[in-house]
Amino acid sequence: MSREKLKSLGLKLPLFPTTSVGSFPKPDYLAKARAEFGKGKITAEALRELERNATKFWIQTQEKLGVDVLVDGEMYRGDMVAYFAESLPGFTQGGLVRSYGNRYYHKPIITAAVEWPGPVTVDWWKYAQSLTKKPVKGMLTGAYTIMDWSFNEHYPDRRSTAMALARVIRKEVEALIESGCKIIQIDEPALSVRPEELPIAIEAMEVTTKDLRAYFITHACYGAFEQIYPGMLALAVDNFDLEMANNDLGLLDIFRRQRFTKDISFGVVDVHTHKMEDEDAVRRRVEQALTILEKDQIWVDPDCGLKTRTVDEAIEKLRLCVAAAHSFRN
Amino acid sequence: MSTARPGLHLASTGSYPRIGDSPELQLLRRTVAALDRGDRTSADLHDAEHEMTRRAIADQMKAGLDVITDGLIRWYDPISHLAGKLENVKIRGLLRFFDTNCYFRQPILAGKPMRPGPLVVDEYSFARNALGHLPTPKSKAGKLSIKPVLTGPYTLGKFSQAEHTENGARHSYASLEARTMAYAEALAAEITALAEYGAELIQVDEPAAVKFPEDWAIFEISLAPLIAARDKLREGGRKIEIALYFYFHDCTPLYEKLVKLPADIVGLDFTYNPKLPDLIASAGSPKPLGLGLVDARNTRLEDPEAITRQIERLLPKIDGGRAYLGPSSGLEYLPRDRAFAKLALLGRVREALLGLKGPAR
Repeated sequence: MSREKLKSLGLKLPLFPTTSVGSFPKPDYLAKARAEFGKGKITAEALRELERNATKFWIQTQEKLGVDVLVDGEMYRGDMVAYFAESLPGFTQGGLVRSYGNRYYHKPIITAAVEWPGPVTVDWWKYAQSLTKKPVKGMLTGAYTIMDWSFNEHYPDRRSTAMALARVIRKEVEALIESGCKIIQIDEPALSVRPEELPIAIEAMEVTTKDLRAYFITHACYGAFEQIYPGMLALAVDNFDLEMANNDLGLLDIFRRQRFTKDISFGVVDVHTHKMEDEDAVRRRVEQALTILEKDQIWVDPDCGLKTRTVDEAIEKLRLCVAAAHSFRN
Repeated sequence: MSTARPGLHLASTGSYPRIGDSPELQLLRRTVAALDRGDRTSADLHDAEHEMTRRAIADQMKAGLDVITDGLIRWYDPISHLAGKLENVKIRGLLRFFDTNCYFRQPILAGKPMRPGPLVVDEYSFARNALGHLPTPKSKAGKLSIKPVLTGPYTLGKFSQAEHTENGARHSYASLEARTMAYAEALAAEITALAEYGAELIQVDEPAAVKFPEDWAIFEISLAPLIAARDKLREGGRKIEIALYFYFHDCTPLYEKLVKLPADIVGLDFTYNPKLPDLIASAGSPKPLGLGLVDARNTRLEDPEAITRQIERLLPKIDGGRAYLGPSSGLEYLPRDRAFAKLALLGRVREALLGLKGPAR
C-alpha cells in the first residue's frame, strides 16, 4: 500500500483511482496517415501534428470521463516493443509475426549492443502533461519483455540481454523523472512466460527502478500467475496492473491463499471483446476485489490497452471503469 | 553414401507464417479485417485462406520438403481451432501459448466435448488437391505427401477448463483426466476420418506433455484411443502412421519414455537442451525420430555444416535409419522470409548429406 509514497510525491488521489493501461485506438484519420507515412506520401512533421491532435483528443476525453491518472494513449506508437526497438540503436526491424488471431507485429531483432540514444518518450509525456492538471503516467516497456519479445542474434543468453536492456530503460526512467513525471508504468506482460526466469525479470526491474523517486506500476497480462505468485511481489514496483476480467477474476483465488501486498490496478473490463459489460457486472468485479484486498490498495482500470477496440468502444469501457470506481467512493 | 541417408526425410513441423511483408502476402489479414468491418463475406475469407494455404505449400515444395503441411493457415490458434469445433465447448479469453509471444483462446467445457463431424478433413483434402496442382519436380514425383496436424488430447485438456456450475457443484469435466479422455475420443474419430480420406501420416502435437511431466500418466492413457484407431485402420488395410511431436520444452529428461510411446514416430525439439543429441547418440532410438534441429523460434540461421554433422552422428543410432529433419516447432513464430530461409536450410543439409553440392554452405 503506497498511499504514503504517493503523498510524498505530492500526489493526492481519491480512493479507487481510475486509470487505463496505456494504449487507445487511433482515430481513423491517424491510422490512415500512418499508412500514408509508411508509403512516403506525407512527411514526419505532418504525421506528428496529427498524432498531437489525437493525443489531445484522448487527454480531453479522459478528463471528461473523470479518469484520475491519465495516459497519452500512445498515438505515436505501434507495438509496445517495436516502438522502443525502432528508437534504440542495436535493433533491426524484423518481419511481421502473429500475436493472436488477426493481430500481427514487427518482431524486432537484436543485431548489436543496445544503446540509449537520448530521451525517447519524454517529449510526448511533456506534451500530454501540458494539456492537463491531472497526473499523466510515463509509459515504458520493461527490459524483460523487450528481451522476450525480440529475436536475439547478438547477446549470448537471455539474462545478459535483459540486463543490457534494463540499463537502457533506466536511463529513460531517469529522463522522465527529471522532466517531472511522478508515476511511471513499466509494462512486463512477459513476466510469467517462463516462471523459472522470474529472478531475471526481478533483477532487471531492480536495475531499472532502484533508488529512483517515482511511483512505479507494472502491467502484466495473460500468463500463468499461479506459477510466479507470490514471488512476483518482489518486483521493484508499487503497483501491479493486472488483467482480472478476462479470466473471470481467477487471480483472486491465488491472492486468497497468500496476501497481495502491493497496490493493484484491477482490470474490470475485458478489452478483447466488442461486447460491452453492464455497469452492475463491472461493479460486482470491484466488490469481489474488496473481499480480498483493502480499499486503499485498489485502482480501477481496463484489463489491458484499449487500442484493439473502436474509439467508441474504448470510451464506453473507460466510462464503465470510472462509474464503478465512483460508486464505491460514494 | 551412408545407407542411412536415404531414410532422411525433410518435414514441416506444422504451422507456417500466414502473413508476409509484401501486399499480396497480407491478403488474409486484410480479408479478416474487412470481414470484421462487414466489407467481406465468409466466402471471401475462405478464398483468402485457400490462397495463403497454396502459397504455404508452394514454399515448402520450393524448399525441397518431402512431408508438407497446409501451414495451419486457417487456425486461429492450436487450441481453439480444434476445441472450438466440438459441441459443448465455448471459446473464451486469451492465454499465452507456452513461452511464445502468441496467445490462444481458452476452451470452456459445458459438457462432454463431442465431435459433430470432421474437424480438419476439409483442410486436409484442400491441401492434397493444392499439392496435386503444383508442378512437381521429376525427382519428387510420387514422393511428396501432406501431413495433417492435430493438437493432442492431453494438450487440449490441459489448456481447457470446465465451466463453473451455478450451484458450486463439481463439474463432471473439472478433472484433467476427464477432459483429456473426452478429447481423445473425439480425436481418435478424426484420425479415422483423415485416414479414410487418404492421410498416411498424421502428426499429433503434445507440447504440454513435456512441460508438465507430473501429468504423465494421464497423457499416456490418453494415447490409447488414438492408437486403437490407428490399429483398427491397419487391420482394415489402411497404411497409417502417427507421429507424436513434443516441443517448447526440454525433451531430455523424458527422452527414454518418449521413444517408448506407442507412436510410430517421435518428434523432438532440440533447442532447449544442447545435450539431447548426445543422449540420442548414446541411448539410440527404437523408432524413427523427428529431428527438430532447426530453431523455429529465433531468426539466427543455423550453420548447415553443424546440422549436417549432427545428422551424420544421429541417423545410424535411429532404428531403421529413418528420421524427419525439420524445424523445432511450427514456423509461424518467425517472419515469413526467415521461416522460408529455415526451410531452405533443410534442403541444403540434405544436399550436403547426399554429397550433391559439397559442404552445406
